[in-house]
Amino acid sequence: MHEASIAQSIMDMALRQLEDSGYTKIDSVSIKVGQASGILTDSLMFAFEAMKHGSPLAGAALLVEEVPVGGTCGACGKGFTTGEKFIFNCPRCGSPDIEVRQGRELDFVEMEVS
Amino acid sequence: MKLNVVSRILDANERLAEQNRELFRKHNVFVVNIMSSPGAGKTTLIEKTIRALNGKIKAGVIEGDIQGTADAERIGSLGVPVVQINTGGACHLDANMIKEALPGIPLADIDLLIIENVGNLVCPAEFNVGEHAKVMLLSIAEGDDKPLKYPLMFQESKALVINKTDLKPYLDVSVDKIRKDSLSLNPSLEIFEVSARNSDGISGWMDWLSGHIHKDS
Repeated sequence: MHEASIAQSIMDMALRQLEDSGYTKIDSVSIKVGQASGILTDSLMFAFEAMKHGSPLAGAALLVEEVPVGGTCGACGKGFTTGEKFIFNCPRCGSPDIEVRQGRELDFVEMEVS
Repeated sequence: MKLNVVSRILDANERLAEQNRELFRKHNVFVVNIMSSPGAGKTTLIEKTIRALNGKIKAGVIEGDIQGTADAERIGSLGVPVVQINTGGACHLDANMIKEALPGIPLADIDLLIIENVGNLVCPAEFNVGEHAKVMLLSIAEGDDKPLKYPLMFQESKALVINKTDLKPYLDVSVDKIRKDSLSLNPSLEIFEVSARNSDGISGWMDWLSGHIHKDS
């Protein structure tokens, strides 16, 4: 819901890294977005595309890896992932004793510069 | 050429939240961040809480609203330090807004800082401000379907205060369903049923709050 300000944070981080690298332009930025992070990938891409012009990011692609919600079950001991944004019971055995370990990411991963 | 830059995108807010938390720790102040939709009764609950503290526990309040000073005036009339933040449109408080408000709060003189977030059931849950506990306030007039519709708020909170229980006779709402669905989202959630308007049930909430002061801060 704050995709424009998050796009701005991503651009700020990328530009800082570019400065340190000695290169002059950014070709791509890779991020991870958890499906339960509250971030809409389409809105984020739209904001990034709209804001990148006139900067070293003008030719950059935003590469988004969506991470499904997943975790482990304390009852059956198995790991799981799900297409749902929220999960309350283990999809294998139905136990509510689950620990969600992924799906809330909003991480900068890497970028390509030239 | 590829550069690996693994870091969290909301790190800037997290860093500021940690600075705020450090300041609260230094002054031994327990901080709650109260979140609800507009009109659920946050300001009334805070007023009743401050009255019930009766000066024995010293409190300060930060009020977050998009616009206006009505809430700060209500709280200020109780004789506690209060700072109003006007977000000017932003739908939540973030760590930087709290950092900028803190010089107006005499942290050395208080035991408890209550932060009233902007009325909104979505965004406040996403931003830590350095609080020790997020507290969700839900009035029964909003309906018993809210926990499952806005799950993150309930998952992120340590306590849920169910307000306006005096309206039960007039509403088709199941408080049991609110409890059950909230606990399915967050099994360790502490739940209190109150009517902030007439102070019914407020003692359970006050016990929980008092139990954390000078312990978790």
